[in-house]
Amino acid sequence: MTASAAFRLDRVSVTFNGTAAMHEVDLSIAPGEAVAFVGPSGAGKTTFLRLLNATQRPTGGCVRVDGRCLGTLSSKELRALRSRIGFVRQDLALVPNVRVIHNVLAGRLGRMGLLQSLRAMTFPSQAMSMAAHEILERVGIGEKLYERTDTLSGGQQQRVAIARALCQQPTALLADEPVSSVDPARARDTVALLTRISRAEGLTLCMSIHNVELAREFFPRLVGLRGGRVAFDDAPDAIDAAQLADLYRLSAAEMLADGA
Amino acid sequence: MARSAALPRRPFPLQPRGAVVIAILALGLWSFVALDLTWAQVLPGADDFRQIGHFFSYAFRPALTFPAEDDVAGRAPLLVQALSAAKLTLIFAVTAISIAAVLGIVLGFLASTAWWAGDPSGARTTLGRYVRRTIAPTVYGATRLVITLMRSVHELIWAVLLLAAIGLTNVSAVVAIAIPYTGTLAKVFSEMIDEAPRGPSEALRAAGASPAQVFLFGLLPRALPDMAAYSLYRLECALRSSAILGFFGWETLGYYVKQQWDVGDYAEVWTYLYALLALVLLVEWWSGGLRRRFVA
Repeated sequence: MTASAAFRLDRVSVTFNGTAAMHEVDLSIAPGEAVAFVGPSGAGKTTFLRLLNATQRPTGGCVRVDGRCLGTLSSKELRALRSRIGFVRQDLALVPNVRVIHNVLAGRLGRMGLLQSLRAMTFPSQAMSMAAHEILERVGIGEKLYERTDTLSGGQQQRVAIARALCQQPTALLADEPVSSVDPARARDTVALLTRISRAEGLTLCMSIHNVELAREFFPRLVGLRGGRVAFDDAPDAIDAAQLADLYRLSAAEMLADGA
Repeated sequence: MARSAALPRRPFPLQPRGAVVIAILALGLWSFVALDLTWAQVLPGADDFRQIGHFFSYAFRPALTFPAEDDVAGRAPLLVQALSAAKLTLIFAVTAISIAAVLGIVLGFLASTAWWAGDPSGARTTLGRYVRRTIAPTVYGATRLVITLMRSVHELIWAVLLLAAIGLTNVSAVVAIAIPYTGTLAKVFSEMIDEAPRGPSEALRAAGASPAQVFLFGLLPRALPDMAAYSLYRLECALRSSAILGFFGWETLGYYVKQQWDVGDYAEVWTYLYALLALVLLVEWWSGGLRRRFVA
């Protein structure tokens, strides 16, 4: 199968309008590793994932993918790199009024020319359709290939978004809060699906997730983020209740705002 | 006793929006005075009512054939003439809207911010930055200016200009309608493109898609149904414009309306008015069904 990506952050900082969202973070993720990012809202989980697929540029430090610092890549190299990193957004970001197959094949656009993509998005070849179908089979909704995307349930649409990321033939999967948009039973299925596929194909998996129980169950490594810093970074068994309570405790400012 | 929290400051009763409405009403009253209008002038008198009643009385008895003295040998029957005028009205409108829709998509895209503003990956090279910061906003601004010019001049004025330039041809009629309609479609299309959710585009861009691909497969599919529905609505407007062009000599329904009005043959005027009504209703009925399917 394809090689898997290695990520490395060297003293990475991100500042939005003067407020720091990420503060001199050092972290490395080995090829094929599965890492869950936990932490309260606003801790920097999404920013972290966006750094990894270069949709967020660091204001300080350097993000390396397979050893290459993203800041030094040309836009062409960057496009090639992005086409190999699958990102499942929290809002899924599917085109609702087209068939599922179009949303899936859209994942391949990064490696198609304009004419080629016009063909794939209108009259896809037999091979293309079969590839899309095979990917949908893997996420369990192969029969939905020709359905209109917005007729699918929320859980099924999430699988389409995962299929689109897989259609990129990625070396890494990034998933931003994939369980916040579905009910608890499906949340477990989704996390299981993503970890299983990543393991089977040797993909590096990074997932931000609110649900610490699920993270503990499915991930061998948990990174706790709080206020743009790494609070802990360890195996689930090594993380104790006090550390978790600390991670989610309200700051003094938040408690004041809540009127507590 | 605990002091209760102070009441939030009460806003002044007249907010900006209310002030604007009052100003507009005041302006309307003032224009009445400025134009020296009196109620006697605005409201029709007994004589005018008779005239109006006379005209409308023909609504119940439109002409179905030419009067005997007009019925020269070899002349097509009145209803055939009405039908062919309706056909020309329809052809002008459909051709003009077809042209306007295609040009509207191109200009609408250029006049949207979706293709150049706020791409997080963009502008890594000097050339890229130059395009992003200088060329793109210039193209955007220039396109918006052109669009505004196109639609700020009414189709009847374009018709007068084109009559002088090209003469009374099918081309001049179609172009006269197509120009302002292109402007309107382009403006509305650009807004639809900009209002389409950005999520899918961002996701495709993050997966390495080029800007053209992002537009074609991330933005356009979402905006297309609305664009098609609006184009169909504009087709109904174009029918009326096309009919009115008859006042300048093109043989659409308006041509005969004016001709018969001038000679006072109200019965025939009503025949053509009914033909226009039928045409508009027919197109509305057909496009209404289509539109519901598009936006559903």
